[in-house]
Amino acid sequence: MSRILVVDDAATVRMYHRKILGDAGWQIEEAINGLEALEKVHSQSADQPFDLFVVDINMPKMDGYSFVRELRRLQDVPQVPVMMVSTEAQVQDASAAQDAGANTYLIKPAKPQELVLTAALLLGDAAASMKAAEGVTV
Amino acid sequence: MNQTELLDQFILEARECLEGIGQRLLQVEKDPSDSELLNDLFRLVHTLKGNCGLFEFKPLERVVHAGEDLLDRVRNHTLAYNDQIADALLEAMDFTVQMVDEIEEHGAIDNAADGRSQELAARLRQNLTPGGATAAPAVAAAPVAVAAPQVAKPRPDWATRWPEALETQYPQAVAVRYRPEPECFFKGEDPWNLVKLTPGLVHLDVASLEPWPSADALDCYKCNLDFVLLCDTPKAYIEEHFRYVPEQIELMVLAEHAPVGAAAGASLEAQAAAQAEPVRDPMQAVRETLRKRVVQLWMDQVSLLKRPGIGLGTLGGVRRALTALLSASGDDESLAAMAALAAMPPQASAAQVATWAQQHVPGGAQAGGSDASGVSAGNSGAGGLPPGDGARRGGGDDNNNNFQGGQKVLKVGQEKIDRLMDLIGEMVVAKNALPYLAQRAEQVFAQRELAREIKAQYAVINRIAEDMQHAIMQVRMMPVGTVFQRFGRLVRDISKKLGKDVSLEVEGEETEADKNVIEALADPLIHILRNSLDHGIELPEARRKAGKPTQGVIKVSARQESDRVIIEITDDGAGVDPQRVRDKAVERGLIPADKAQTLSDVDAVQLIFLPGFSTAEQISDLSGRGVGMDVVRNAVERINGHVQLSSQFGKGTVIRLSLPLSMAVTNVMVIESAGRRFGVPMDMIVETVRVHGDDIHHFKQASTTVLRGKIVPLKPLNELLALDADAQVNSDGELAVLVVRMLGEHVGLLVDQFHGATDIILKPLEGVLSGLTGFAGTALMGDGSVLMVLNPKELL
Repeated sequence: MSRILVVDDAATVRMYHRKILGDAGWQIEEAINGLEALEKVHSQSADQPFDLFVVDINMPKMDGYSFVRELRRLQDVPQVPVMMVSTEAQVQDASAAQDAGANTYLIKPAKPQELVLTAALLLGDAAASMKAAEGVTV
Repeated sequence: MNQTELLDQFILEARECLEGIGQRLLQVEKDPSDSELLNDLFRLVHTLKGNCGLFEFKPLERVVHAGEDLLDRVRNHTLAYNDQIADALLEAMDFTVQMVDEIEEHGAIDNAADGRSQELAARLRQNLTPGGATAAPAVAAAPVAVAAPQVAKPRPDWATRWPEALETQYPQAVAVRYRPEPECFFKGEDPWNLVKLTPGLVHLDVASLEPWPSADALDCYKCNLDFVLLCDTPKAYIEEHFRYVPEQIELMVLAEHAPVGAAAGASLEAQAAAQAEPVRDPMQAVRETLRKRVVQLWMDQVSLLKRPGIGLGTLGGVRRALTALLSASGDDESLAAMAALAAMPPQASAAQVATWAQQHVPGGAQAGGSDASGVSAGNSGAGGLPPGDGARRGGGDDNNNNFQGGQKVLKVGQEKIDRLMDLIGEMVVAKNALPYLAQRAEQVFAQRELAREIKAQYAVINRIAEDMQHAIMQVRMMPVGTVFQRFGRLVRDISKKLGKDVSLEVEGEETEADKNVIEALADPLIHILRNSLDHGIELPEARRKAGKPTQGVIKVSARQESDRVIIEITDDGAGVDPQRVRDKAVERGLIPADKAQTLSDVDAVQLIFLPGFSTAEQISDLSGRGVGMDVVRNAVERINGHVQLSSQFGKGTVIRLSLPLSMAVTNVMVIESAGRRFGVPMDMIVETVRVHGDDIHHFKQASTTVLRGKIVPLKPLNELLALDADAQVNSDGELAVLVVRMLGEHVGLLVDQFHGATDIILKPLEGVLSGLTGFAGTALMGDGSVLMVLNPKELL
C-alpha cells in the first residue's frame, strides 16, 4: 500500500486529507510542520518508505518550502514526488514551490477528486486515477 | 467521508484560532510594530479561512477572508494598524464567534447572516486603502454579472486586442480588461505586478488610456495604462486575483460570446456540437480527462527539469514522478517509455532527462508549442481546478500542537473525569480504614506482627492513592489564563466606553487550578475588574492632576502558593477612601456611627465587602448598582477561597484572591474538644501551639496570649459550640491552641488535643442541619465515624 505523508499545521486540513486520501486506499501519516516531517522522513522504515508528500506552505517552525528543500538535499532517502498545496492567492507560490523542488502545486481547497487524481497519478496508481478521473471535469 | 467528525474538528480548531486571534489582536494594539506577532495573527486568520474553505460556510469565509487580506497588508507594512482597523477586526471576530456557535448548534449558517457578513467584509475592506471609503467591497459587489450561457453575448469593443488564433487554442479562456485608476499608485496598488502575476496568462496587450502627453507635460504619478489580458484559467480565479480592484476590470468569458465573425446561430450550433461530443462515450471522456491531467503533470516535470540549478534530489523526485505518470497511464507505449526511463543512467543530467521527457509526452502530445509554454506548475494546477475562492495555506500557532495528530489527544466528557474523581475520593477515604484496622489488630487481637504488615501495606496503598489522586486532578487542571484571556477585550471595551486610558498587564497565566475553581473564578474576577475600571482608575485628566501617568495600569497576576492559587488584581487608581466608606456604611445603616469612627483605615476599607454597600455616586451600567464586592466575596468563599482588599487612598487598590487548587478533597486537621472530634480546614490553620496557663492574660471575659510578639485573642472552642466543659490542660499545665486565620487576623481556639491531618471529602450539611452555619460540613472517616468539620469564620 502506498504511503503518503501529509504535512500541514491545520488539524482540520490534515483530517480532510487523511479522510480523502485514506478513503482512496492509501496509508496516511501526518506531520504538523516541516521539522516534524523531516523527522518522519529520517525515521521512515526502509521496507515502507513514503511514496508521496502532500505539503502545506505556511507553517510554524519550518515552512513547506524549507522542508522540500531539505528533503531534496537528503542523499540517503528515496526521492519521491512532492505535491504542494496552498492558496490561490499566492500565484507566485507555484514558482517558489518549483524552486524548492516540488513536483506540482495544487490550490486549496482542492476538491476531493482532484486531490485523489493528482495523488494517484504521482503514485502511479492506474486504477485509482481512472476512478478519480470519472469525477473530474477538465 | 464522515462529515460530522470533520466538522467537529473544524469547530474545535476554529475556536482555538479565534481565541488566539482575540488575544493577539489586543496585543497588536499595544505594539503594532511587532512583526512576529502580526505574522502569528495572520497565520491564525489564514488557517481559519482555509478551514472554512473546506465547507460551504460562505458568510463566515467572506468575513475571515476580508480580515486576512487586511492583516496581510498590515503585516507587509503597506497599511498602518489603527483603531479603526482594530475595531473592524474585533467586530468581525465577534461575528465569527457567533457563526461558529451557530455551526456547532445547527451544522450550518442561517442565510440571514449573509447580509451582515457582507457588511462586515465591506467594512474590513474599506480599511484596505488608506483613504478608506473609495475601496469597493470586492466580494460583496463583484462587478461581473453571471452570464446566461444559452445566449451568446455581444463582444466588447476591446475584444480585438489579441490574435484570433488564440481563441481556438484556448476556447475556455477569459479575457480581462484592466484599466487602473489614474490615482492608483497612491493607494498602494501595483498594476504591472498584478498583471504579471495573473494566473494562466497567455496573452497581454498594453495600451495607454489617453494618448501620451509630451515628456514635459507627463505626470509620472498618474497611471495611464490600459491592459487587455487573455488567461486560460477559470473566471473565479481572475475575479479572485483582481479582488482589490473589481471596479477597474471588465471580464469576458470567451465561451459565452460569439466567436469572431460568426453569426450567433452558428455559434450556438458549434457549442451544441462541442457539448454533444463528450456525451458520445463516457469512458472516452474519462480517458481524455486522465490524459490531459497526465500531460499537465508531465509538463510540470519538464518545466521543473528546465529550472536552473536543479539538485540531484529534485531530479530523483522528478524521475520518480515521471515513472509514476507512465505507470498510471498504463498503455503499452507508456510501459515502453517507463523501461526507457529506467534504463537512463542515474547520473543523467536534468537537461538530458528534460529532453527525453519532452520527446515522450504520454498520449503522443508533442512537447513544445502551447502546452510547454502555457503550462507552468502553477497554471496547470490552477487550470484544472474547479472554481472556489476558499484559499488557505496552513497556518496556526504553536498552540495548535495541543491537538496535533488527532489521535494523540483524547476528548473525554467531563462527567467521566468527575466520576473518576469521585471514585478516587472514596478510595482516599477508604484507605484511611487501614490504620484503624492495624490499631485493632494490635490492641484488640494482640497481633503486633499483623498490625505492622497492615501498616506497611497501608503505606504502599497510600502512596498509590495519592499519586492517582494527583494524576486525576492533573487532568482537571486548567491554566488560569483561560479566564484571563477575556479580560483584554473587557478592559479595552469598558475603558473606551468610559473614556479612560487603561492598560492591562497579565502575569502567571500558566498557573493551573481545577476546572471548577477556574470556572467559578470568572465572574468574580470580571466583577473586580469592572469595579477597578469604573471606580478605581480615574479619567486621564484627573490622573494628570494627581501627578500620575494618564494611562492607568491594571495588573492581574496569578501564582501558586503551596496548595493554593493566589490571584491579585492591582490597579494604580484612586484607591478606596476610608472616610467615604465609613460615611457610606453609616448612611446605609450597615454599622453604627460611633463604631465606624473607631475603625482603623484598614478595617474601614473592609466594609465594602458588606452586602448592599456601594460608593458609586452614580449607578453605572458597568458595575451595576455597586453590589459588587459582597457578591465577589460570596462567590469566592463558595469555592473555599478568601478575598482580601488593601487600598492606599490616592495610590491604588490590591485585591487578593486565595483559592484552593482543587475542590474535590479537603485537607483537615482533626482536633478534640470535650471528648468530641472535629475537623478544621487546613488552609485556615496558621499553627498549633501549646501555651502555658500562666501565659494567658485575662481581661474581663476576653483572654489573650502573646505569640511571636503579637497579641492573639483566645476563644475556648467549647464555649463557641456551647459545650459545657472547660478546656483541658495537659500534665505540663499547657493548653492546646489552634491558631486560625480570620480575615487577615489571627485567632487562637482553645481545644483539648490535636490529632493528625487527613484528607476528607467534605459533604455539605443537608436538611435541617443546613442551617448550622458553624459547620462547613461532614465527612465520613475511615473507621466509619462521621467527622463534623468546623467553619471557624462563622463560629466566631
